[in-house]
Amino acid sequence: MIALLLYLLVGVGLLVFLWLLARRKGAPVEGCGRQFVEARQALRTLQEGLLPDNLIQRIFDRHDFRYVMASSPADIGELFLQERKRISLMWVRRVRCEIRNLMQFHLDYSRLHAKLSLLTEIRLGLDFALLLLACRALRILLYVRGPYGARAVVGVMTAAAARVCAASEKSLAFLNPPALEAFRRDSAGDGAAI
Amino acid sequence: MRPPAKRMDVLAAADDLRRRTLVELTRPLERLIYLASTRDYNTGLYYHQGLAARFSEEAACEALAGCHREAFEELVDASLEELVYELEMYLHSTRVAPSDFIVAWKGLEPYRVAVPVGIDSLSSELVFSNLKVALAILESRLAARPEPGASRHLSPVQ
Repeated sequence: MIALLLYLLVGVGLLVFLWLLARRKGAPVEGCGRQFVEARQALRTLQEGLLPDNLIQRIFDRHDFRYVMASSPADIGELFLQERKRISLMWVRRVRCEIRNLMQFHLDYSRLHAKLSLLTEIRLGLDFALLLLACRALRILLYVRGPYGARAVVGVMTAAAARVCAASEKSLAFLNPPALEAFRRDSAGDGAAI
Repeated sequence: MRPPAKRMDVLAAADDLRRRTLVELTRPLERLIYLASTRDYNTGLYYHQGLAARFSEEAACEALAGCHREAFEELVDASLEELVYELEMYLHSTRVAPSDFIVAWKGLEPYRVAVPVGIDSLSSELVFSNLKVALAILESRLAARPEPGASRHLSPVQ
């Protein structure tokens, strides 16, 4: 009798689990082109606007700090630190925003198109979690210690962001087929058209 | 909207621009200000009569846009020390009284309208921020060694 009750309970539990799975609202496949284009835009902003080495080096370069402190009055030093802190916080905010856009895209749509292995998906999930955590830690460190107090976290963050970008690039690769790339190279290369 | 120019024409026009016009402007800040001045505020399109006559308006526009972007990217990559030097050289090239120049640049921030199209806002904010600090450094240096030709009546720019 007890065994029967146990089996019934397991059966009911499985049914409830199936019902919950069926109720889970998936992202609609129709009309998801906009999300792909937005994800592509987020990826491009990260790769070309926020994560280039020279830009990160410029923002967090200690040479500027040493130069200002050695050659200017204290009030200019203060102004410099304020400005650099503002820029570095802006950088973290922008990176976090674009990473969240990419994460949303991966959660909703990427598995419909990209053949990601389970291992890749787990790695990607960990990288997203690490990135969001690093963004938060970096913001706190920048507030507390200023723009030059978090060099190691910046390194961790940019490395994780590069991995996420590489995985997203694969998911969105179909948006820039070779023919389109060739066309883009042949036309207005310097982007003067508005 | 204009049709895009052929890439070969754009490259030739850019080469011509660099050899004939920009060769005189050795500093990126000078080039940036000059190239921004060739852009129509209402349309965002660049115009250079000589270049347009030699190539085409479209090719000239794209060549000017490309060189404008190059000059801006050089400023993004410049250290603060280099930027102070850039600013000092630019100040000398304008032949304006240094104090007048500082007041005008601090008040009007003319560099804000000199950003090429398509530049990420973070890069432009970094350049604006560095220029603001560079101006403050230059001002303190000029105050330490006032020039005899400097204007005596400074009025703040609104």
